[in-house]
Amino acid sequence: MSICKKIEDINRADDPLVEIKSTDLMPLPNVSDHSIQEPSLKRLTEEQKQQYEGSLDGFVAIGLPRPKNKQEEEELVRKFLNGLSKLFSKENNWTFLQPLFHSLEYCVKCQLCSDSCPVYVASGRKEIYRPTFRPELLRRIINKYIKKQGALVAKLTRSDIELNFTVIARLAELAYRCTLCRRCAQVCPLGVDNALVSREIRKLFSQEMGIAPREIHELGTVQQLKVGSTTGITPPALKDLLDFIEEEIKEKTGKEIKIPLDKKGADVLLLHNAGEFISWPENIEAFAILFDAANINWTLSSELGGYDGVNYGVWYDDVQMARIAVKHAQVAKELQVKKINVGECGHAHKAFIVIADRVLTGDLNIPRESAFPVLENLVLSGKIGFDPNRNNFPVTLHDPCNVVRLMGIVEPQRRILRKICPQFTEMEPHGVDNYCCGGGSGFAVMGGRNFPDWRIHISGRMKLKQILEVFENVKAPEIKKYVCAPCSNCKGQMRDLISTYGLQEKYGIRYGGLVELVVNAMIDLPKPFIEWEQ
Amino acid sequence: MARVRILLAVATYFGYVFIIVMYSAKLVKYLHLPMHLRSEVYPVIPGDRTSKERSCYEDLDWWTRPRRHHLLQRGWFLFSDYFLLREYFRRDRSYWLFLYPWHIGFILIITFHIFCFFGALASLLGIPVTDGSPSSFGKVIYGLILATGVVSFISGLFGSIGILIKRITDKDLRHYATPQNYFTYILLLAVFLSGLYSWYLDPAFSEYTDFWKGLITFKPIDVEPATASHILLFAFLLIYLPFTRSLHYITRLFGFLFIRWDDKPNLRGSELEKEVEEMVRLKVGWEGPHIKPNLTWKEIASEAIVREKEQVSK
Repeated sequence: MSICKKIEDINRADDPLVEIKSTDLMPLPNVSDHSIQEPSLKRLTEEQKQQYEGSLDGFVAIGLPRPKNKQEEEELVRKFLNGLSKLFSKENNWTFLQPLFHSLEYCVKCQLCSDSCPVYVASGRKEIYRPTFRPELLRRIINKYIKKQGALVAKLTRSDIELNFTVIARLAELAYRCTLCRRCAQVCPLGVDNALVSREIRKLFSQEMGIAPREIHELGTVQQLKVGSTTGITPPALKDLLDFIEEEIKEKTGKEIKIPLDKKGADVLLLHNAGEFISWPENIEAFAILFDAANINWTLSSELGGYDGVNYGVWYDDVQMARIAVKHAQVAKELQVKKINVGECGHAHKAFIVIADRVLTGDLNIPRESAFPVLENLVLSGKIGFDPNRNNFPVTLHDPCNVVRLMGIVEPQRRILRKICPQFTEMEPHGVDNYCCGGGSGFAVMGGRNFPDWRIHISGRMKLKQILEVFENVKAPEIKKYVCAPCSNCKGQMRDLISTYGLQEKYGIRYGGLVELVVNAMIDLPKPFIEWEQ
Repeated sequence: MARVRILLAVATYFGYVFIIVMYSAKLVKYLHLPMHLRSEVYPVIPGDRTSKERSCYEDLDWWTRPRRHHLLQRGWFLFSDYFLLREYFRRDRSYWLFLYPWHIGFILIITFHIFCFFGALASLLGIPVTDGSPSSFGKVIYGLILATGVVSFISGLFGSIGILIKRITDKDLRHYATPQNYFTYILLLAVFLSGLYSWYLDPAFSEYTDFWKGLITFKPIDVEPATASHILLFAFLLIYLPFTRSLHYITRLFGFLFIRWDDKPNLRGSELEKEVEEMVRLKVGWEGPHIKPNLTWKEIASEAIVREKEQVSK
């Protein structure tokens, strides 16, 4: 059996370096009574193995093709080292140089962060997933190839990593085995952020070598800047979708609501994750019903890029991140809105409100606000009537990392749920200490080869465990239960977790957003807004 | 003996100058790092997680409200944690058991030397620094030298041995430990052990105080081999420390104040906005296929818009 214990093992020729077996994974509740079946993990085919480097753990997120000859391999190493040195220059990396420098220079490898990482724990504590593994590997490469330490110092610091295609490809894959949830950063007594190191490694590969998962780059940011959305929705397609959504609203509520589009001078530009238009249109409908009932002067945009709030750049590329943030701000500027509300999309929250805060200046620096305090205001102000009995079923809240730990928005969504959901129960841990859904940092959209299996069984395992535990006392499938996941990306992951493990059939568990629960409780709607069949 | 006397004095002078210069250079380098994009982790206010984990983003129209600073809570948390090591206590009690005395030993050995310096100075000014000193200042300094020295050496020795054993026996720590880590533990162990032995032979640390008097007056004195070995080991430690990660004692403050808790918003017309303007004028040197060469960050970020407008005008 392949075992990677030490950093130096990254040079070993084993394929895979670490074998992932279902039996090694963190046990799930209910497995012993056979109500939860553990599906087998999909392995790479021989053909895929020949084509792509998948020797890290037998899963492929990027799918780096093997070099055809020695020259190609040397060129790859050269480019990697070029990129690595750029991470430490002010011009190229003013964006994250200080946190990167701090994390690489001052981590003492006390391993206090290890058990805070859901991937590491859920995998059965596989060494390669430990939060300090990647940074230490990078540190040793830097010592040898960038700082060019002498032989004695290299021995003292164990910086004896031999850089070749396999090591580089394994490092690239390894950067996509961390969901960037930053639980590790939260517990570090020295202010080190090992998750950020993963993100910086991704950045090096993308910004210098043009290497990134296709779903995030080509089909993600590139497509968003080109056609308007990562979903491929074009401005004309958006209008068709809105027509459909308006009809749905009429059918469900009897209300004839015209969703405002490109309304110049509106108070609010609402920025949704475009995934909602296709996969969860009820979320768009609910916002429209609520904003209409509250007489908010709002609009959506049909401008290229103005109707998709996602910014995949935050996961892997500063340049793409800045381009998309500027694009969003430009749309708002042209519409002359007073502020932008970000809908239920965690990383759009973090990207646009927090990270882009130091990208946007002058007239592009338009106030940006989360939809959560807006919803809270509508629910608690008494402007609209709500009947909590309409939500009288077990509800739990999944906290999107980007909203709680990375933005500090913890209470508004809870105050809403306490007001309108009589059976609201918290998962443990929750709030700023929450666990990632497992689909963070792009994982939920990365569907190539066998990577979804890794995402569902390893990075999503801790969340699955939490969901099963919180509904432990109401297991019967006839009792309908709701996992409130107010983030498009998290909803994608919930969908896959629930369907893979059959949670809807076995336990009556479904998922959805926050605003749907709010609208479900509105007293002037003729029938429940939430439909239980998914 | 004269050679040893001079060696001890020179090593001590050099050790102090070296560590001050090296640490200062490292701190200057750190403080000159450019501003960065925000990457705070909440709670940004330490303390009670239930009531203080909130951010301004929980408020409606947050930009219209005064910003909360919480400097006192932050400062107190950081200072007090030097003497508590809270996260270690909370998450790994067995590690804390050795790390704590090790750190206390380190903090106290520094204060021991500071008190020795002041003790020597007082003595030169005619204030006896002894248990029976007629001056209460002399008595207090004497007591502090004794207390910090003894507690430091005992605590540090216990911690050094414990942490060395822990690093070797705990596989999670062992696999990441380098030969340099072990060298550091052994060196500190030797420093504390030699200090303890010199105290055993000189229970009032009078030889050590006299050595400091010699340093202040530039008239080095002879000391017994036990004290000499401690002085030499400590001087070596001062020279060695800048080559380790020991500056984390100070940079952890930066890590929290300038990174993890840095939630300062960029408001229109603010000083911060000017700094951002300066940064986005820097040229981007990345060579990925989606990045055009010779453009600034600002040009690259608005490149898509520029291209779009050009197409419309055509």
